[in-house]
Amino acid sequence: MKRINLKIIILLILILTGNSFVIAQNRVVTGKVTGSDTGETLPTATVAVKGTTRGVITDMNGNYQIEILPGDAILKFSFVGYEPQEVEIGNKTVINVALQVKRSTLEEVVVIGYGTVRKSDLTGAVSSVKSKDLVKITSINPEQNLQGKVTGVQVTSTSGAPGATPVVRIRGVGTFNNSSPIYVVDGVILDNISFLNSGDIASMEVLKDASATAIYGSRGANGVIIVTTKTGTKGTDKPVFSFSSEFGMQYLAKKIDLLNGKEFAIITNEIVPGTYNNVDAVPDTDWQDLIFNPAPMHNSQFSISGSTPKTEYYVSFGLFQQDGIIDKSSYKRYTIKINNAYKLTDHIKFGNNFTLAPYQQQNAPNVTYSVYRAQPLLNPYYPDGSYGVVYNVGNPLADLEYYNNYGSGVRGVGNIYGEFTFLDGFTLRSSYGVDAGFGKAKSFTPAFTVYNPDGTATQQQNVLSDIYKGNSENMSWLWENTLNYTKTFGIHSINAVAGYTMQETKSESLGLSGENVIRNGSDFWYIGPPYVYDPSNNVNTIQSISNGVDPNQYYSMLSYLFRANYTLMDKYMFTVTFRRDGSSKFAKENRFSNFPSLAAGWNIGREKFMEKLPMFTTMKIRASWGIIGNEKISYFDRFARVKSDIVAIIGQPDMAIAAASYGKSGNPNLKWESTTQTDIGLEFGMIKNKLTGEFDFYNRVTDDILVELSTPGHMGNGLGQKIRYNAGSVLNRGFELSLNWRDQVGEFTYGFGVLGSTIHNEVLSIGGASGVDSLLIGGYLVNGQTVTQSRVGLPIGAFFGYVTDGVFQTQEELDAYPHSSQAEVGDLRFVDTNGDGKLNGLDRTYLGSSIPKFVYGFNFELAYKGFEFSADFQGQTGNKIFNGKEVVRPDPYNFEQHVYNRWTGPGTSNTEPRSSFGGYNFSISDRFVQDGSFMRLRNVTLAYRVPESFAKKFKLNDLRIYLKGTNIYTLTQFTGYTPEIGSYDVLSNGIDHGTYPVTAVYSVGLNLTF
Amino acid sequence: MKALIKITIASVLLILPLAGCEDFLQKNPQGELTQEVFPQTVSDAMLATNAVYSSIRDWFYNAGGYPILDIMSDDSHKGSNPNDQLTTIGPYDSFKFTVTGDGLDRWWSTLYEGIKRANVVIEKVPSIVMDESVKAQCIAEAKFLRAVYYFDLVRAWGGVPKVTTVTPPLQLARSTKEEIYQLIIEDLGYAIDNLPEKSLQEMKDRGRATKGAAKSLRAKVALFQNDFPGAEQYALEVIRSGEYDLEPVFADANGKNGEHGIESVFEVGAMEVEGTFGDQYANTQGVRGTPNRGWGFNRPSEDLRNSFEPGDPRLDATIIDLGETLDGIKIMGDGTTPDFLYDAEGKIIERECYNQKVWVPGNNTITQFGHNRRIIRYADVLLMAAEALNENNKPGDALVYLNKVRQRARDGNPAILPDITETGKDNLRNIILNERRHELALEGHRFWDLVRTGKAAAVFGPLGFVAGKHDFLPIPQTEIDISQGILVQNPNWN
Repeated sequence: MKRINLKIIILLILILTGNSFVIAQNRVVTGKVTGSDTGETLPTATVAVKGTTRGVITDMNGNYQIEILPGDAILKFSFVGYEPQEVEIGNKTVINVALQVKRSTLEEVVVIGYGTVRKSDLTGAVSSVKSKDLVKITSINPEQNLQGKVTGVQVTSTSGAPGATPVVRIRGVGTFNNSSPIYVVDGVILDNISFLNSGDIASMEVLKDASATAIYGSRGANGVIIVTTKTGTKGTDKPVFSFSSEFGMQYLAKKIDLLNGKEFAIITNEIVPGTYNNVDAVPDTDWQDLIFNPAPMHNSQFSISGSTPKTEYYVSFGLFQQDGIIDKSSYKRYTIKINNAYKLTDHIKFGNNFTLAPYQQQNAPNVTYSVYRAQPLLNPYYPDGSYGVVYNVGNPLADLEYYNNYGSGVRGVGNIYGEFTFLDGFTLRSSYGVDAGFGKAKSFTPAFTVYNPDGTATQQQNVLSDIYKGNSENMSWLWENTLNYTKTFGIHSINAVAGYTMQETKSESLGLSGENVIRNGSDFWYIGPPYVYDPSNNVNTIQSISNGVDPNQYYSMLSYLFRANYTLMDKYMFTVTFRRDGSSKFAKENRFSNFPSLAAGWNIGREKFMEKLPMFTTMKIRASWGIIGNEKISYFDRFARVKSDIVAIIGQPDMAIAAASYGKSGNPNLKWESTTQTDIGLEFGMIKNKLTGEFDFYNRVTDDILVELSTPGHMGNGLGQKIRYNAGSVLNRGFELSLNWRDQVGEFTYGFGVLGSTIHNEVLSIGGASGVDSLLIGGYLVNGQTVTQSRVGLPIGAFFGYVTDGVFQTQEELDAYPHSSQAEVGDLRFVDTNGDGKLNGLDRTYLGSSIPKFVYGFNFELAYKGFEFSADFQGQTGNKIFNGKEVVRPDPYNFEQHVYNRWTGPGTSNTEPRSSFGGYNFSISDRFVQDGSFMRLRNVTLAYRVPESFAKKFKLNDLRIYLKGTNIYTLTQFTGYTPEIGSYDVLSNGIDHGTYPVTAVYSVGLNLTF
Repeated sequence: MKALIKITIASVLLILPLAGCEDFLQKNPQGELTQEVFPQTVSDAMLATNAVYSSIRDWFYNAGGYPILDIMSDDSHKGSNPNDQLTTIGPYDSFKFTVTGDGLDRWWSTLYEGIKRANVVIEKVPSIVMDESVKAQCIAEAKFLRAVYYFDLVRAWGGVPKVTTVTPPLQLARSTKEEIYQLIIEDLGYAIDNLPEKSLQEMKDRGRATKGAAKSLRAKVALFQNDFPGAEQYALEVIRSGEYDLEPVFADANGKNGEHGIESVFEVGAMEVEGTFGDQYANTQGVRGTPNRGWGFNRPSEDLRNSFEPGDPRLDATIIDLGETLDGIKIMGDGTTPDFLYDAEGKIIERECYNQKVWVPGNNTITQFGHNRRIIRYADVLLMAAEALNENNKPGDALVYLNKVRQRARDGNPAILPDITETGKDNLRNIILNERRHELALEGHRFWDLVRTGKAAAVFGPLGFVAGKHDFLPIPQTEIDISQGILVQNPNWN
């Protein structure tokens, strides 16, 4: 190092002094390599002396210096994504080069299952989202960032509670059981990624069609999301330190319009005359104001990454903390990530990726539903400060005080791998991954009573304190062995992989519940032994014990896989994939199944004739077909089990004696569910790739769906019990389009993107002629009424009920039209849809679907000098929401505002019926089906990156500060807290039961590296 | 050489999964048996037999949860506060319920679940190697309970799918009423032959079926088929066995002191604990408010109250009124329920009161879960005998048993409830029917007693009963839907 410096100084002195003589000895050439499209420097670009094996790479700032020997004539510069350039060295001592971007930016490398491939060679439908876009939505769930960024993907929140995970759907709802995709994190196959810190992710690839997912055969039926975490930063031998921190406040985005005290009193007087003598003097309590408060959230991360020629490392620590807008709900998670890679020799490489995520969570009781129903003319407290009675619902403030529920645990995911390359083009890779989780649950409710004004006890009481403690653990290991062969012979290039994988998942949980704890403080939340002698005065005693495995986490799988990609002349691509999977969930006869796939692609952009259309820089069409499987059911569904938790009470005095009998029947004939998917896609880039776009058409049919169906009552399986059958098929079909424009005008860069996906979802068959339910009824409300039916010809989980057509204004109108025996003047008129002259259950019909017909997003970004501004919008249309919380009314609950425009006499209203607390007018009808379409400003960020020179003053490489708003504006007609009503149960999707609202967040943060 | 080593490692890794593959993919249920291996031992047989008793303690066994049979009759109204279950149980009060009536699917499913458990014993226990007499008793107990469950099904719905195996076909049409009764009679025949008398039963086995229980049930089945000679035969056998007698105190017949007592022929044991060990039956009807003993359903009607003969102490023992003091506890009632409801002329149409027959002394709600529901008691057997004897033209004998019931109710007071002396068949029939009403009020008998004697239309007509329709409940709509046309609905319910 020192010698070279000296030489440069001598050289420079000589140059400056104007001497221009050839130095007949080794000299050094320096320079900078940039990309001509962005003007940015290119670190790790290769600078080599042509015809020799000597070369260097550029540093973090794109600078290089290379020693030139006599006889060296040409320097060759190259970098991924750019056309290589050769420059004659001549007499130059400084050679700066601006590389031209390659005609095809489809040179970007994409991660697919068990390998990587250039985007130009990809025959499947894969969308890639990079790190920068994965940190926009601050949440414990990194997948929230996919919404509005990837066509065909829909991410819906299930609840705004801290710690809740969203529902992800790729290309519609594929099946009646588990329609969620799988995640592959550093090679480990998982069902959720809430333990991952978004800041640790380098990229997420969404595999959508059969060709891309086929290699995951058995689980890829609903899509695969591959998550690649960060590795050591290359191009520098100094470690890179990174710190980021964000602090935000969450607010309830919107309140629900409910009646106030006086309005409620007026309505009550119409139903039960004389209840309130003076409606102006009744109290008025806004219960929503009492339970929702702004709440803070905070996310920080510190990471160290770097590499040497032999090793790469990435270590990070993260802390995420979120308080909920309802008291006593919160979530806190630490993440520790350690990723390493070692090059033992040129042919042997090892690596490991570990993540450890301890978390703590507190859950609030469901007071959202309570404040919706609580009568507004009641006071929350009595004058003496004790909790006031809230009839039929319970005082939500008392619920919040007396309900204590905690969860905590640790999740660890990691893998180690080794790779050997041998012969020419073969790579043998073995990887062993583990996903382990340990969890604890704890809940305590003290003895308490809420009193009526006259001092008597209300139904809101707990006679003896209750305690629950539970432990759970699950462990899953995955061992994968693959042999990969990559070779290019002239115009042919082959990339093939073959291998097998084995996986085993086990779990166990233990729960104890007890009663009558000796004191209320948390120091005493422990359970003691079971006493029998005096059941009414035993303290800390066990009431029940449960111990067993998690039925969804107890299985094993063995699979064989093979894939070959063949590319001819860089223009014509063919892919064939085959996978054979066996699962422990099926009996021997049906255990294994085969999943093949074929795909082809044509890089039209590289054809000679395309030179006539220079505006198209790239164009590719691709098509694929394949069959992929699914078996996400309980491991015991095929077994007919014996129920041994039955007790008989026999004897004088009473004794509890053990009993056991047959539980529900099993189905030993269960087999793999399979999805057949075809996809045709077109990818293109125009105007020097300033405009890029992708267009896909897909058609997926899922057959032999593993669905739980009700059996006839005479089978004796018990009320509401269902048996699993392979008995259903579903079609999902649609188009996806995405367009992106990126350009730079001087120092001003801008870009915008728009994407949209259509979904047509249709049930093709259910049940068949087997005698079981051919009509999947679902969408259970709190009182057991059902809202959805899945029938042939309609979407899954379609809403079913009566159609309303005005209000019966007079007795004559009532008599003139078929009506239920319960209908009276002023009630809703339900349409006699089947025209049989009677109004009964057969008149219920299809009212709409919760699956949107069109999902879209658009985003734009602007950057000028150090300022950056970006905004992301997402939305969907064509879906309906069922306002379930409004329908269940066994008691006098509060009402939504629209009820106030009620019918009070002929001609007063033809939309709202007469006042009633419940009953006939609250039957399941389209009165409660609302338009769920919405458009939301999901994220808006304003950032400033300080100039390098200013950052250097603080010894920083990079400093960026930003302001961010999340979910700050939603345009929708839905009257509830949020139109995002997701559910893992596909038969109960889109029903608002009064769930924890999703919030708007305003935050400020900074990122810095040094 | 290096390459050779690498290829060897590669091949070994590739072949590895083929070894031990079968066991690796076999995952059996954890902590649970499968039906293929149960029942196999004598202990399994006992467990399976005990399980059949658990179904009668299921809340849904009691007409789906809420006492709709009494509510439909003239003996009681819905109860609880005016809005509670108004749209679900309220319609039963006025016969306005439909094919989606609340609770019907629960009742249907639970009865068939009990039948399945009985079938496990009846079908699988015979092949177990065990003491033959113990085996016969297990099967007899299961057959008795199967008869209990089918008896409820056939009275509620008429002919129903007949299931006598644990693997019935998925598609099964309704059998006729007669076929179901035939099965019940066969089951009870076996039970009568193989069950012990109550006195031979140990205290630790109280609650298990006995010969007397089987014969009493057989007599009742005969009455429902209008087989009066059969009813007379079996009822008299029970009476003459000397195994049973009336409790001296009427309240004990249903109360805590009489649990598994001399009058109890067949009852449902329960412990004073919420959840698995208790029975929700009494809590559903318990006093609402203060003291908080339950939800307050099955409110005795003014019609029932006024039908008692003057001075009949059973009125007071059947109905809990506000202001009463029971076992030292003052009954205040529920604040949200009006004490009295009047009609336009100021006459009381309903008043807040509760079923005293499910009252359990104690100081909290949980005690109600320990009430033992009496399915059959001796007073019922005496009245069945009286009814059958009267129909068989033996009024003199009928009066003997009828007056025994009145004598107990009289409790030594000669001024009330004089012995009946009427011997005219039609008059005596009515007198006995009324005596059943006063003796067995709110125990679930009234509705079916009037249907089987053909008097339902006359007595319940004003309440909304429609002849030819309400004699049977509608088959739950969910069952009709699932069966896709195999199950035909009862007449006039569409």
